Amino acid sequence: MSALMPAISKTGNILKSFMNLRASLQVARVRPFTSSIKENSSRYDDLKKESDPDMPLEDIKNPFEKEKIKCILCEHNIRVDYKNVRLLSQFVSRYTGRIYGRHITRLCKAQQERVEKEIWKAQQAGLMGGYTRDLAYANDPQLFNPDQPIRPHRF
Amino acid sequence: MITYEMPLLLRLMTRPELVSTLKRTAGIIFDQGGIIRRLDSLGTKDLPYRISSHGAVHRRASQFIIEFVVPPSSIKILKDEFERDIDVVRSRIYKVEELTPVECTLHEEILPPAYRKDVQEMVELAKKKFKPKFKNNTGLSYYPFQK
Repeated sequence: MSALMPAISKTGNILKSFMNLRASLQVARVRPFTSSIKENSSRYDDLKKESDPDMPLEDIKNPFEKEKIKCILCEHNIRVDYKNVRLLSQFVSRYTGRIYGRHITRLCKAQQERVEKEIWKAQQAGLMGGYTRDLAYANDPQLFNPDQPIRPHRF
Repeated sequence: MITYEMPLLLRLMTRPELVSTLKRTAGIIFDQGGIIRRLDSLGTKDLPYRISSHGAVHRRASQFIIEFVVPPSSIKILKDEFERDIDVVRSRIYKVEELTPVECTLHEEILPPAYRKDVQEMVELAKKKFKPKFKNNTGLSYYPFQK
């Protein structure tokens, strides 16, 4: 047994050295191969773009994007004011005198808030009635249809 | 200095009386170190509702709008002055707001609820409120024992 031991250790050493050599060979083979692919691909893409103008463009906006909808006051750039009672009373029901909500007026949040604020100011200043609509403005053209709200409501 | 705007309702008066009242109101503003920028008359109109002031009920009034600049500290004094004036039916003082362009957000607001930002935030908030559920850790999608 004792005579065999050195022989086994010798063969083991040979195996180890062989494996190391294989590993080093693999590394040497793989590295340049991968790097060359990367270099080639980018150059290839550039060449393709230069040579072929029919290739799809990458950085382009969505051509099918819909136009942004604006509320009626933003669209015509109208600034509501508490002195313009006629305009304000168009956002008030002619039956109940209440201010129509956003689901009926179709205004953006900021404009609706502003309309409500200005109506309150006009009412406080004694220029506009609360819960009433001036008879002179009763038959003004409708800016929106209260019978067709974008969301159902409790009235 | 801040620009203020004052809708002023005056009781029905003869013309010279009206002139003297307006001069008086202007004088009060000048006394506070103010400047009058604009004085508009909207005419004598029916009031939208009856207003009682100084022991009389008014159904009609002469409407004026005065735009002026005064130091903010004197607004309280002005309000008090006009409140005590017998000829003034009603007066309010509002700040003149500067024009700030606001971008319309209607296109975001009319999206279906699932795509709206505020709704998404609400859903996440609701998720946070849920209590953690007990996990069986059996690796099964169902409860293996009899309930």
